[in-house]
This record gives sequence, structure tokens and C-alpha cells, in this order.
Amino acid sequence: MNTQLDRRHFLGLAGLGASAVALAACGGPSTSAPAATVDASAVDFTGVKPAGSFDFWTSHPGQSMDVERSIIDKFHAKFPDIKVNLVTAGANYEEIAQKFQTSQAAKSTLPGLVVLSDVWWFRYYTNGNIIALDGLLKQLNFAMDDFQKSLVADYKYADKQWALPYGRSTPLFYYNKDHFKAAGLPDRAPKTWQEFADWAPKLQAASGAKYAYMYPALAGYAGWTLQNNLWGWGGSWSDGWKITCDSTESVAALQWAQDSVYKDKWAGVSSKNAADDFSAGITSTTISSTGDLLGVLKSAKFNVGVGFLPGGPKAATNVCPTGGAGLGIPSGVTKEVQLAAATFLKFMTEPENTAAFSAATGYMPTRLSADMSAVLAKTPQIKTAMDQLAVTRVQDNARVFLPGADQEMAKAAAKILTQQGDVKATMTDLKGTLDGIYTKDVKPKLKA
Amino acid sequence: MTTRQIHSSNSPVPLGQANAQTRTPSRSDDAGRKRNGWSRRTRRDFVVFLALALPNLILIGTFTYWPLINNMYYSTLDWTLGSASATVVGFGNYIDFLTGSDASNVLGTTAVFTLVTLGGSMALGLLIAVALNSKVRGTTFARSAVFAPYVLSGVGVGLVWLFIFDPGYGVLAWILRGFGQQSPEWINDPQLSLVMVIIVYIWKNLGYCAVVYLAGLQSLPKDVMEAASLDGASGLRRFVSMSVPLLSPTTFFLLITTMLSSLQAFDLIRIMTPLGAGTSTLIYEAYLQAFGAYNRAGYSAAISVVLFALLLIITVLQLRFVERKVHYS
Repeated sequence: MNTQLDRRHFLGLAGLGASAVALAACGGPSTSAPAATVDASAVDFTGVKPAGSFDFWTSHPGQSMDVERSIIDKFHAKFPDIKVNLVTAGANYEEIAQKFQTSQAAKSTLPGLVVLSDVWWFRYYTNGNIIALDGLLKQLNFAMDDFQKSLVADYKYADKQWALPYGRSTPLFYYNKDHFKAAGLPDRAPKTWQEFADWAPKLQAASGAKYAYMYPALAGYAGWTLQNNLWGWGGSWSDGWKITCDSTESVAALQWAQDSVYKDKWAGVSSKNAADDFSAGITSTTISSTGDLLGVLKSAKFNVGVGFLPGGPKAATNVCPTGGAGLGIPSGVTKEVQLAAATFLKFMTEPENTAAFSAATGYMPTRLSADMSAVLAKTPQIKTAMDQLAVTRVQDNARVFLPGADQEMAKAAAKILTQQGDVKATMTDLKGTLDGIYTKDVKPKLKA
Repeated sequence: MTTRQIHSSNSPVPLGQANAQTRTPSRSDDAGRKRNGWSRRTRRDFVVFLALALPNLILIGTFTYWPLINNMYYSTLDWTLGSASATVVGFGNYIDFLTGSDASNVLGTTAVFTLVTLGGSMALGLLIAVALNSKVRGTTFARSAVFAPYVLSGVGVGLVWLFIFDPGYGVLAWILRGFGQQSPEWINDPQLSLVMVIIVYIWKNLGYCAVVYLAGLQSLPKDVMEAASLDGASGLRRFVSMSVPLLSPTTFFLLITTMLSSLQAFDLIRIMTPLGAGTSTLIYEAYLQAFGAYNRAGYSAAISVVLFALLLIITVLQLRFVERKVHYS
């Protein structure tokens, strides 16, 4: 083959390439004006008729497909003019977020209502992908006083409500009652991690389990569950927008965690799912979501106990983060679709429906007046999760508001807990990374 | 044909024609011939060419080159996925990637993953092909068994192997416990994660190399091999000195296709190590940056362009230099 690239051919190709790139610039995002968040509280929905149908994108948190279908059937009976299309838009919060954001880029096929997790909704807000719900909440007379205050507050920013709670959870302390009994320990969760450190050797000796405690899988939500340790030691991922993961308290908390694995050797780190490891009897205790409760009770061949998360040397209570998913309404759909979606959102969060959802999944009811007596009679452990709500704390900004922070926290935790990396150095590196994310990806988008 | 060649010809050509041939052709004659060529056979051939090639060219252009060009444009933007607006940053994303700590980690992981999977798949594939080429019972079944993993879904393979490698209740951990050993932390330790993914990738893809090598072995000239055998060359000597050099076209083909496929490996990495800790190759890093959580679509596009350039350079180098070592007959 003898192809020569002379000057004329080169210039021709370069011109063709430049033209193609210039043509490509006609598509994709606008480079002329910044994105504006959509304030639907200012949008007038008077005279707007709800659309005849819309898509509801969900990942069926807590294996909720059946209960979601049943609530939709009830909605169709009450509102025959609005058809809700249940769409499985992903297997988890990350996959549904991926689909939602790709659809934003493609400017097509957006849903009327979407499930959004604690770490995703803020990004949708800064990108202008979701509407503020205040106007719709007022127009449709949502009984906001009856919602769990702390769960609603999670979706408030700039004095606006950007989503409503749906599959909401907190971490729970799970323990194997049979192992506790064999070790002569009281039938309760430890009050502090120091107390558990005293129990751990007895548990290991008496239970035959590989570990007394198993840290949740790091590829899951390490940043979420480790909030408990950080807060217990007086540390945090961040204080407001100031990154504090390298503070003396934060480093002490994670040093203690590393020692439990390498020095004292009573703790391990789950490879895939701590709830599965606990159910399989590999560990005597673990921390996992309330959303895992029904699955654990079903699969465990022993008596399962649950309790509040243990405190630490600096804080014995209020060391439990809230978490889970909410429901939001996209900005890129018509007002008719938004109104139809809000109508369904109101129905979905009615007390009887939130109770049914909670009974089927183990997630917490979002309404104060939800009648949980039947649910609690069947699964009394849910009461612990409900009671723990009173001592929950809103997560640190760094974990929920910085894109990719959860992944960076998981990588740092892996370095500390599975490679015995230096805690102070790892946390200092993490601080640099998180500061960089804040400065580059978040700060420019925050309103003054 | 040059004038000098025409002069040196010994063919009996009439003087007048010879004079005509030796005359330097004018530009207008050239143009006339081209026009005549277009008007007859070439034009017809070109129409047939267009009829056959155009549908494919349109498909390739729409689904390969157009996204590629779009991607190059996006790589010049500071664009958060999902945002309707972006800022033009020129080569900023490339500079950020190539001067940051990401580049050395990602390029290093890519190099290790590609070279080990390439070498492993080809070396083991060749050995298995030699074994399958022997005339013993059960080779037909063995060939199918060896090739089967290649056609399996990467997602399914990844999930099954994750269970095998699970340090808690995996088959491997169970076997190790039988010998009084603890299972390594295959999933949580980034270095072992890379080893784990490499093992599974080689297992899944060596069947392809084995089958291609087997076809190569079966097409080797039998007379040459028999002659070597009659000359007293041992089996190992025949393999090293004759089979391997004669297989060089097959090796060259596998070198290109396996390397390209290793550089684009995605499904196993995604399923087995979703965070990409220790396994973040160029293609997976591009995915993580855009869709994993960071939503840096422009930065991700820049990484994709770097991968594209790397693939292009490697392929050109292979075609230009490695092909010279290949014996085609």
C-alpha cells in the first residue's frame, strides 16, 4: 500500500475534521448560558389539566415492585384519567441516576416522577433537572405537617423543597441473638463501640463465627455507615462545606476501626453485602440498612436482634445518619405531566400507602399518622428503626452533596481497612480530593 | 511506464507507434484518458462500489464516526452530565488528565491488564491448541469446552466468578480452608482485584486464541513438517523452529485483535469491581468519570480520545513494524 499524505490532502482532511467538529458543536450542551434551576413554586399550575399518563422511574428499593404495582392499581381506581407507567429504570440508585442523567443529555424520554437517592438529588438540583415542589405541594394541599420532619428536611435547600421522602432508611445494628446468648452477653445492641470491643473476644470465642463484627462492603455505601464511627469520635467528613475528614477526631475514629481489623482482629470487611454475610453466619454482628431487615429476617437461620447504632467516646447518641431515596419531579417535562406526577406523589405518600410500602420493604413510614400496628405485630423489629429516627442526624455535606465523594470515601476506607494504609495520610489525601471536587464541581454552581 | 522502459523494450513495435509511445504524454492526453476511463468501465465499477459500500458507510459514519467526532468536541468542554450548559476549556481536560495523578495510575493499570491478558491468552491458547491438535479421543468435546466461555455473557461470567472468589463463602475460600489457609481478600484489595479480573478475563478469552491457533496449526504444510521429522528433528524442535515461525500470520492477527479487545475490556471489570479500585483501565475510568458518580462528561470524553489515540497508534505501529516479521507462506 502506498498512500502519500501531501500538503493538499492534509489540508483537506484537516478542513474536513474541523468542519465535522464545528458541526458537532451544534448538538450537546449550550456553551453560551449557564443552566438555570427551575423554580416551579413560581410556576402557575392554575387551569392546567393533569396529563393522561406519565412514566414513574423506580429501582424498586427494598424489592418493592409488587407493592408499587398495588399502590398504582389503587391510584388508577381513584384517578381513572391518569395512567402511571411503572418503569424499572435501574437495579439500584446509581443505575437509575445514570439513566436519568443520560436522558437529560439526550433531551428525551424523561419520566414524570423519578426515584432519587440521598447522594443524587442535589446534583439534579444544581443541574436544573428537577423542580422545586413548593407550589405543587400548596396547590394539591399536601399535609406537610404529618410528614416525618427530619426526612422532609433532607431535601430542603435554598428555602425550597426539591423532593419528598419515599424509601427512607437508616443503618441498623444487627446481631445474632444465639451468638450473644452463647457468649453470655445481654440481649441488646452495645451502647458504645468501646462496650462492643469488650464483648468481641467473648463473641469470637463462643460463636464459631469468623468475625465478631463485619464492616459493610466498601463498594456499597462506606461513606454512609462510617458516619456513625466519625460522629461517635467527634469527627465528621465535613462541617458545612469545610472538609474535616483529616481532623484529629476523624483520624482517631478510623484508626480505631483499622485496629479492630488488624490489631485486635475481631472485625472483617464484607466483600459484597454485609447483610448476606450476617445471614450466612459469617459474622455475629454488622451494620446494614433498615431496608435489609425483611430480607435478613427471611434468610437467617437464627434469632435476629436489632438495635440503635453504638456511640463513641465523644458522642453516645445522635450518631445515626438518615439515608435512602426520595421522589422528585423533572423539570424537562410539561406542566401537565408535572401536575399528574404530583397528584400521584400525593397519593403515594398517603398514610395507608406509606404503611403498606413500609410493611413490604422494611423502610420507614414517612407519615406520622401511618397506622403501623399491623406491620409491627408482624415485624416488631421495625419499631427499633422507627424509634431510632428520633436520634438521627442529617448527613455531612461532603458525602451527599459532592459528586463522586462517596466513591472517594469508599476507596479511602478500603485503603485503611483492607490494605492497612496510614490513616492520617489517607485522610489527608481524601481531604485534598474532596476539596478539589467542591472547588471545581460544586462551588461555581452554588447560589450566593 | 517511463520513457526509458519503453526504449529498452525488445518487442517488435512499428516505428511510427514507437515514436508515438516515446513521445512525452501531454496533460490534455492524460485528462482525456481519465475522462474516457470514467465514462466506461470505471464509472460502472464506481456505481457498483457505491451501491455495495454506501449502506455500510452510512451506518459506520452514523454510529461510529459521528459519535467519535461528537466525543472529540465534548472533550473540549467542562460539562457536567445532565447539565444543559457547559464551558469551553479547549485542551483543559487533557491537561488535567495527563498532568494529574489519574494518568499514571490509569495508564499503568491499562498497561498491566493489557499485556498480561494478551500474553496469557495467546500463550495458553497456543498450548491448548497444540493439545487439541493431537489425535486422541474427546478432542471435539474439549474444543467446544475450551471455546464455550468466549461466547458466554461477560456479566454472567463475572457474577459466577465473584461467587467463586468470595473470601467468605466462595468455592476458592472453601478449598483453601481445607488446606488450613485463609482466602486472600480478592475483592477488597485493589492489587488482588486486578489479579482476579485478569484471571477471569484470560479464562474467558483464551478459547478464542486456542481456536484460531488450532486453525493455523491444521493449515501448516504437512510435507515440510514430515521432511523435518525425517531429518530427525524432535517434536519440541519442530514446534519451536517450524510451527511457531510458520504460525506468525496467525500470531500477528491474534496480537492485533486480542490487544484491541483487552484495551476495550469493560463488562468483567464493571461487574467484578464496580468502584474500579485497582482495576481502572482507560475505558473503565472514562465510564466512571461520566457515569460512575463524578458526572464529568467532558473529562471522560478526553480520556476516551486518549484511548482512541492509543489504539490508533498501537495498530499503526503493529501494521508498520510487526507485520514485517510475518511469514505469509
